[in-house]
Amino acid sequence: MSKQEQLQQLLGELKAALPELKEIIVASSDGLPVAQLGESEIATRLAAMAATAHGLGKRIATTTHLGNLVEIVIRGDQAYFIAYAIGDKGILGLTTPAGSNLGLVRLEAQEYARKLAGIL
Amino acid sequence: MEPLKIVITGPVGAGKSTLIRTLSETEVVDTDAIATEAIGKPTTTVALDHGTLRLDGHLLHLFGTPGQERFDFMWEILAEGALGILLMVRADRPETLPVARNILDFIKSRAPVPYVVGVTHLDQPKVWQPEEVALFLGTPLEHTQGLDPRRPEEAVRPLVRLLELIGTNA
Repeated sequence: MSKQEQLQQLLGELKAALPELKEIIVASSDGLPVAQLGESEIATRLAAMAATAHGLGKRIATTTHLGNLVEIVIRGDQAYFIAYAIGDKGILGLTTPAGSNLGLVRLEAQEYARKLAGIL
Repeated sequence: MEPLKIVITGPVGAGKSTLIRTLSETEVVDTDAIATEAIGKPTTTVALDHGTLRLDGHLLHLFGTPGQERFDFMWEILAEGALGILLMVRADRPETLPVARNILDFIKSRAPVPYVVGVTHLDQPKVWQPEEVALFLGTPLEHTQGLDPRRPEEAVRPLVRLLELIGTNA
């Protein structure tokens, strides 16, 4: 299986575990889209924004002595955007509706970020 | 002392982050991430750079943008409230000049403020001279300067010029 197929398969598994997820993207650390599940027209933009949010989040974490960055959460009144580092080469970003079980989303997303790190 | 917000922008690899690191008197906030494209360097700015500099009685806040067009939302965010723009371009990559012009047009449409152009990498073979860059961008030659962003005395020159322009504008 190609790297792309393996990534796509993992995103499919994550979506199966958390059907309420709307967008799932894998971005490179410098904001290029690598894999996606969801609306293709926003995936490219979301990949760049995920890299920006993550890069800035890392800086805020070090500047304010939070330790290492664990996750980025952006909360709207209708949904969340959540992002995790995939090693140091990429970022997993996803959106999930406001009523989601955030604890479960976090557990699964972090687990898949680890799995994705083995492929990227 | 009224702080002045200056945006440092331009295509990838022009030396924006380097210039801010060279000039800033406070700890620089940078947001480097590993580059996965062949851009001639291992890392690239994904959000912003920030540094400060006192110059001619003004406190300058220098905000550097990412260079790639996919980060154009950051150009918009960082242009907010800017009083001057330093556009940096590489003399040895004339193919990036159209991108430079796009960035300049984009930011000027949001912040119609004075700008100057800094031309870097002039020590490379086969370069465009500052006069040619000025002609291409339609910028007055006196607002276009060659510089090495690693040298403080050169890096500061376009900002001195920019302050003059902001002063006559105000």
